[in-house]
Amino acid sequence: MCGVDYLGSYRLLGLLLILGAAFFTVAFTANRLLSRRAPSAGKNATYECGIDPVGGDWAQAQVRYYVYAYLYVLFAVESVFLFPWAVTYALDGFGMVTVVEMAIFVAVLALGLLYAWRKRVLSWT
Amino acid sequence: MIMIALLVVSALGALAAFLPAQFARFVSTGLAALAFGLSLAMYATGAGFWHEYDKPWVPGLNLRFHLGVDGISWPLIVLTTLLTLLCCGYSLWKTPDSRLIGLLLAMQTGIVGAFLALDLVLFFVFFEVILLPMYAVIAGWGGPAKRAAARKFVLYTLFGSMLLLLGVYLVVDQTGSADLAAPKGTATMAAFVFLALGFAVKAPLWPLHTWLPDAHSEAPTVGSVMLAGVLLKLGTYGLIRVAIPVAPEAAAKAAPVLGGLAVAAILIGGLVCLAQTELKRLIAYSSVGHMGFVLLGIATMSATGLQAALIGNLAHGLITGLLFFLVGAIKDRTHTGELSQLGGLRDSSPWLAGILGFAALASLGLPGLAGFWGEAFAVIAAAQRGWWLGAALAAVGGALAAAYLLRMLRKVTHGSSPPRLTGPAGYELAAWVPLAVLTIAVGLAPLLITDVTGPAVDALVEAIQR
Amino acid sequence: MTFKLPAIDYLALAPMLVLFGAACAGVLVDALVPREWRYHVQVPLSLVALLASGGFVVALANRKEHVVTAGSAVVIDGPGLFLQGSIVVLGIVALFLVAERRLEPGGAFVAQAAVVAGSEADRKQMRKPGVTEVYPMMLFALAGMMLFCSANDLLTMFVALEVFSLPLYLLCALARRRRLLSQEAAVKYFLLGAFASAFFLYGVAMIYGYAGKVDFRGINEAVLGSSNSKTLLLIGLAMLAIGLLFKVAAVPFHVWTPDVYQGAPTPITAFMAACTKVAAFGGLLRVLYVAFERSSWDFRPTLGVIAAATMIVGAVLAVTQTDIKRLLAYSSVANAGYLLTGTLSMNRDGLKYTMFYLVAYGFTVLAAFAIVMLVRDSDGEATHLARWAGLGRRSPVFASLFTFLMLAFAGIPLTSGFTAKFGVFAAAVGGNMTWLVIIGVLSSMILAFPYLRVVVLMWLSVPGDDTPTVSVPGAFTAAALFVGVAMTLVLGVAPNQALELVNDAGAFLR
Repeated sequence: MCGVDYLGSYRLLGLLLILGAAFFTVAFTANRLLSRRAPSAGKNATYECGIDPVGGDWAQAQVRYYVYAYLYVLFAVESVFLFPWAVTYALDGFGMVTVVEMAIFVAVLALGLLYAWRKRVLSWT
Repeated sequence: MIMIALLVVSALGALAAFLPAQFARFVSTGLAALAFGLSLAMYATGAGFWHEYDKPWVPGLNLRFHLGVDGISWPLIVLTTLLTLLCCGYSLWKTPDSRLIGLLLAMQTGIVGAFLALDLVLFFVFFEVILLPMYAVIAGWGGPAKRAAARKFVLYTLFGSMLLLLGVYLVVDQTGSADLAAPKGTATMAAFVFLALGFAVKAPLWPLHTWLPDAHSEAPTVGSVMLAGVLLKLGTYGLIRVAIPVAPEAAAKAAPVLGGLAVAAILIGGLVCLAQTELKRLIAYSSVGHMGFVLLGIATMSATGLQAALIGNLAHGLITGLLFFLVGAIKDRTHTGELSQLGGLRDSSPWLAGILGFAALASLGLPGLAGFWGEAFAVIAAAQRGWWLGAALAAVGGALAAAYLLRMLRKVTHGSSPPRLTGPAGYELAAWVPLAVLTIAVGLAPLLITDVTGPAVDALVEAIQR
Repeated sequence: MTFKLPAIDYLALAPMLVLFGAACAGVLVDALVPREWRYHVQVPLSLVALLASGGFVVALANRKEHVVTAGSAVVIDGPGLFLQGSIVVLGIVALFLVAERRLEPGGAFVAQAAVVAGSEADRKQMRKPGVTEVYPMMLFALAGMMLFCSANDLLTMFVALEVFSLPLYLLCALARRRRLLSQEAAVKYFLLGAFASAFFLYGVAMIYGYAGKVDFRGINEAVLGSSNSKTLLLIGLAMLAIGLLFKVAAVPFHVWTPDVYQGAPTPITAFMAACTKVAAFGGLLRVLYVAFERSSWDFRPTLGVIAAATMIVGAVLAVTQTDIKRLLAYSSVANAGYLLTGTLSMNRDGLKYTMFYLVAYGFTVLAAFAIVMLVRDSDGEATHLARWAGLGRRSPVFASLFTFLMLAFAGIPLTSGFTAKFGVFAAAVGGNMTWLVIIGVLSSMILAFPYLRVVVLMWLSVPGDDTPTVSVPGAFTAAALFVGVAMTLVLGVAPNQALELVNDAGAFLR
């Protein structure tokens, strides 16, 4: 019953996908066919700012970055909840209860920050 | 009340093993004697339950603490307490270990409880309680291959009790009641099959018997006595008390199969016995044959057959108990149970040879001794039922019993004469004499038993034919 | 579009709020109180919080008023309260084990989990007292479990799942001894748990696609009347089930169990075995009984096969184990199978006896792990089974207690194990799942073996030179052990009170 209509909106998407893939393939094939090629070993070397790369490709990152990243993500995500609240708390029937509830929510976040601070996560030593 | 007292005394006896070692075993044995006295005191007459006690325990699980004793269960209870007492007395001198005696009494608690239980779930509870003490007795005090034998015993018995458990579920689900005092008798074939299989493992019915010889040959003497004397009876008692009453229609349909298997057990047990080379294994296999007669009696589902089964049960408990005590005595002295290495007992120890001969004659069903009545009437009941072929084959099986027991006697008592063996110790005589006396008494006056069991059996037959 | 403030029945939420509040306070304590005082503040704080929470549960149960609250995100009904109460009580016993510091100076937890295992710093910190963050984490986990059992929609359920899982992942990594094993356990648990959560969430999305709702009542109505393709429903249900079955450790989602049980600090293993099981089955029961009851014809065969596989695999693999903690882990897998059998009865008895089983199993397993904690030598707990040989001669009291617990696991009558198994199997027979009961009964026969082997090993083997001693338990472990053993006995001999309790709990509120 919903066959044609239902698929209709997807047909456009499918067409777009096919077109995109075709464009990509055609462009690269054309490049391949038209360009001149002269391969050499130097061209395959990893190139960075004109300096030859040295050492391994594994690098150790400071674990502190992770802690910062975590804290950032935490607060960034939680702030999402603040926006809808900001729109509704002044409406009828919301009022003080809503403010208190949000205060508790923020307090819990602050508690996390306090804990991180007391555990000296925030100092960079 | 007296039933609860009996259970409590048994349980206390088991717990007494935790007392300081020097007097724990005496306390336990004393309590075993008290339990024997209590079981005797339960005697009454009549068809109904002599004593009954009924109280809800766990209503949610259909579990009632419903105990009762009647003519069917009373002789077996007395047999249990008697054999336990004898085993305790025997262990008191032979293996003075309070733990072993405690385990024997723990076993007695379970067995007596199962014989007393009039609630299916309660019956199962007690049935399970027995398993572990027996396992510990075999695994703790057994022969060289005790671990393997104990494992095999547990595997089979657990298998049996799990089938039994399934049967219990089905019965409770189908009839809505777990009562055994007045069972509804509406359970289906499936329930009967599960119950019967569960009991058949315990009894043991051929071809589910293979755990028995290993368990017997590795178990200590008292373990074998308890196993053959009482534990096997639970299987046959269960058939009479539980499986047939809760599903009489299914039982009637399955009776020919049961009878056929019983006859097979008699014949095969006899033939296997002829080929045995070890004394204890031989007696163990003979149990398969004897229990075959009991099962044949049950399978006829007639008053005669059930009477035969009950008296056969009792006789087997007495005689095989005696035989295992004797074999234990022989093995203690000669340190071997191999028939080929034994011989000349007649010369080396005439008194032992004599009493072994007596027990063997009783076992092969000599008229005038206890073994005769059960087997003879099982055959008669089968013939009355119209199973002529079965009856004839069972009779042949009885002759086989004579053959292998006489062969055993010849090998053990005759032959080259080894050095003299020590005479019977007091504790050994104390264990043998009561059993021998009872064997003669039951043999001479089977009415002693049939008068007790008669009314209850008639009531049962009436109930299942209704 | 107008918004309305959802009404919140704070009393109904009090058991959880108390725990969340206490957990936050615990974090505060850890941030502000001097190090040497923390343990002495945290333990009473957690204990008081749990007692208060339990008090609220009892008060709510007496109120006998079942409510849907917080914008129909949470439902407080009879079974929910029973499960919450069980979680609190088992949590208190588990807290005793966690708080034990006499067996090992500083407790079973490491001082600084991030130190490289085996390094100089790691050896140095062996002497320091363990972290005290375990207490707030435990409270968070417990509160999450309680929410999980009383969530009324799939999203709340997911949040609760994460709230109780995340602390558990961390707690697993905090063992003082055998640091690498502990960390490995935590990583495994975390990775597989994350997968399971993803499955769960994906399932929620599918169900939402099918029903257009995430609350259980709405889903139930949709199952009855929706004209949408049933495929979505079935895929969604399968995904949800995977997420939940991972938590209950059902085969084939059980592979984490032995490693995590072995690697985690033993008090935490006990905590997971007892409380997580209650929570996970509480959630599963609610999802299946409330939301999807009407499609039980669709999921019963599949979940039945899973239950059968769980019982068999758990039992068979338990036979081959040589480490007591792994053995208990596989036994917990097999027990999940029995619980599933009860769950799949899909009748009132099934609900009743599954809940009873959860409590009975919880107490027994806590006591068993308490004894595992006690059997130790200079190198910590001696968990290899060979080391337990002859323990019965060394310390008959503890060996007797452990024997009793093993018999309870094996389902021998007069222990809670028998009552519980009998109940779930009877319920399953009543629910026409007899084939599952047959498998259950056979597998419980197999499962009796490893337990018996331990018993035989303890009593019938001669103690060797390396048979460890059984430490004298501190007051906390002794209390946990006593409660566990006593309840195992009481629920086996006189289970009437408990059975009445589950009976009065009634059915789920829809």
